[in-house]
Amino acid sequence: MLEKLPVEKIAINAVMAGCRPEYLPVVVAALRSLCHPDFAYHGPASSTGGSAMVLIVNGPIVGKLAINHGNNAFGQGHRPNATIGRAVRLTMMNVMNTRPGFLDRATLGGPGKYTFCFAENEDEHPWEPLHVSRGLAPGDSAVTVIATNSLYLVYNQLAATPEPLLLCFADALANLGSPNLKGFNQSLVVLAGEHSDVLRSSGWSRRQVQQFLIEHARRRVADLKRAARLPGTVVPEDETTWRHVFERPDDILIACAGGRAGSWSACLPGWGNKWTRSVTTRIEIPGGMA
Amino acid sequence: MKLFDPTSRPVERKVEVARRPSTLNGLKLGLVDNTKFNSDTLLHKLADRLRRRHGMTVSVTNRKRSPSHEIDEAGIRALRSQADLVVSGIGD
Repeated sequence: MLEKLPVEKIAINAVMAGCRPEYLPVVVAALRSLCHPDFAYHGPASSTGGSAMVLIVNGPIVGKLAINHGNNAFGQGHRPNATIGRAVRLTMMNVMNTRPGFLDRATLGGPGKYTFCFAENEDEHPWEPLHVSRGLAPGDSAVTVIATNSLYLVYNQLAATPEPLLLCFADALANLGSPNLKGFNQSLVVLAGEHSDVLRSSGWSRRQVQQFLIEHARRRVADLKRAARLPGTVVPEDETTWRHVFERPDDILIACAGGRAGSWSACLPGWGNKWTRSVTTRIEIPGGMA
Repeated sequence: MKLFDPTSRPVERKVEVARRPSTLNGLKLGLVDNTKFNSDTLLHKLADRLRRRHGMTVSVTNRKRSPSHEIDEAGIRALRSQADLVVSGIGD
């Protein structure tokens, strides 16, 4: 691993990825997040878990670069979404030597390892944008990076109030196969379309949603033992003893993206048991926003 | 035509490898637990076997912040000053 990433090399990889020149500040900011000590790059980049580095872009640069935050936000069809994340991954492979089979030991990996970049839909957000919730100013442009190794779509077309809707999120975040049921890792919830509307019209705050998920994303110890997610035989008190997935509100990042139509949202459980933390970095644009 | 190389070579550093002991008998053992599941169990079983076979004693145990994080400087100093040999684990 290099101690510094030469920007010339980053630029070469960005060109290979298909980036336009004006995308480079986003790529650089994302790489600064990856190199932040809190991100602890070694684990999420090399683990058998095969994390995608999910990039969430906020601020005025979103409109300037036309980064998709609407319909098909996680999918194909938009050059910045396709190429910014790809430039980050190519830099990880070519400059940071995180190559499959060498430092990257992913068992399966996933398509998000090619690219996973989207913007927040700040105009239809139930609350302040993600980067503002993490201490930056609304006028700042920023990229938040979180390592996740799964993406569960959450569907609910009937819920008209937060509680039943959020129970579906809590269940998705606490399924028995989820990698880190007992480690208080961070996870990402992406609210889309009609689910954003339900929460916006409810008057619930971001903190209320986080607290609800802390309370309800849980499994009985008995469930965990029967599935060998915890060692030992089941004893009677295990049936009424709960293990919670999250510990603090900040463990749950909530973003808003996706099309207006549809009852779909997403949960992306984070990699590691507090072994990595998401990092938000301000995007520095030479000469300011043109 | 000019070709650009997208790759970087790792920074090369000279690393001095610790001298290997000629015998394990009676040495002070350092353990580095990377906090992975069962890491502590495995390390302690190994230490117990080394105790029985070679009379080694665990003189210092370092429990890392996480498998992703390096051992901090204080931990390295303690291992250097208190152990003759260090075992680190585990992978998956």
